[in-house]
Amino acid sequence: MIAQIGFSILLSGVMVYAWTEYRRAPVIAVLSMLVATAGLYFVWLPTHATKLAALVGIGRGVDLIIYVWVVISLILLLNLHLKLRSQAELITILMREIALANARTAEQNK
Amino acid sequence: MISDDRKELDPQSIWVVVAAFNEAAVIGPIVAEIVGRNYRVVVVDDGSRDATAQIASAAGAAVVSHPVNLGQGAALQTGIKFALLDDSSYVVTFDADGQHRPSDIPLLINALVDAKAAYALGSRFLGSSRGMPFGRRLLLQAAIWFTRVMTGLRLTDTHNGLRAMTREGASRLSLRQNRMAHASELLEQIAASGLPYVEVPVTIDYTRYSLAKGQGVADSLTILFDLSAQKLHR
Repeated sequence: MIAQIGFSILLSGVMVYAWTEYRRAPVIAVLSMLVATAGLYFVWLPTHATKLAALVGIGRGVDLIIYVWVVISLILLLNLHLKLRSQAELITILMREIALANARTAEQNK
Repeated sequence: MISDDRKELDPQSIWVVVAAFNEAAVIGPIVAEIVGRNYRVVVVDDGSRDATAQIASAAGAAVVSHPVNLGQGAALQTGIKFALLDDSSYVVTFDADGQHRPSDIPLLINALVDAKAAYALGSRFLGSSRGMPFGRRLLLQAAIWFTRVMTGLRLTDTHNGLRAMTREGASRLSLRQNRMAHASELLEQIAASGLPYVEVPVTIDYTRYSLAKGQGVADSLTILFDLSAQKLHR
């Protein structure tokens, strides 16, 4: 029960985070929500997780939950990458304005 | 027959944008030849550590310098923005590594005028290329197929840096891909703009220098990753 509550809090946190990210990266947000929802489902219905795990050849239901968590971690990692890309775009815009403000025309070079 | 629009063309209303990173060895003669044809040239020095900016400037180009290296896509966008801030009628993009011929520039501009197109895209497969390695040819064919699937544009060449565009065409571009994926992004934006485009036969001269600066298979994977990543965020 303690593990179920702990996992539920973590997965709920992922869902809240996904919701806050929706405007910036909707694909990532929807993916995170789907996987987190699946995680919550399996945490509270472990027998279903066990059945599904056996079906896909994982073995135990708890392993399936761990795999779900690994997937969530990878999605969040991708989201961090996208955030870095957004920062890089802002830096580019800033650099461009600086470069244009300091541009030297052919006439000025003479 | 030469159209009246073509007769009235003033070369000084054409900005040639050259993105350059550590091109001190070749940039001088390239700029001098383009300036000699009476076009205006802006070299975007993309954080070079050598004398690219000084040599380009001495050869008669306007120079815009990025404080740090951002990539060819970022440099081209900077150059296009510079040209649009001026009263340019046409913008041409031209590689700094010496594989393009300045004599192809008027062909592109004339094609824009004659076809009343917004973009004229150079094609080495309609024209010719000298010294193209077999691996490069395969890579480019894959890129052509990829572009058809992604954009619906039926082009014969997709990663050719020699292009011309009208002022309206240039103002529709807003490249976000700083590095090599900009070529595919540019075609996506052309397709999205709905503006007319035309392909023009041009000649590409591969040299040991330009091949060393070119893209390999690993770069094409990076391009695929960059294009995919961009679609995941705003």
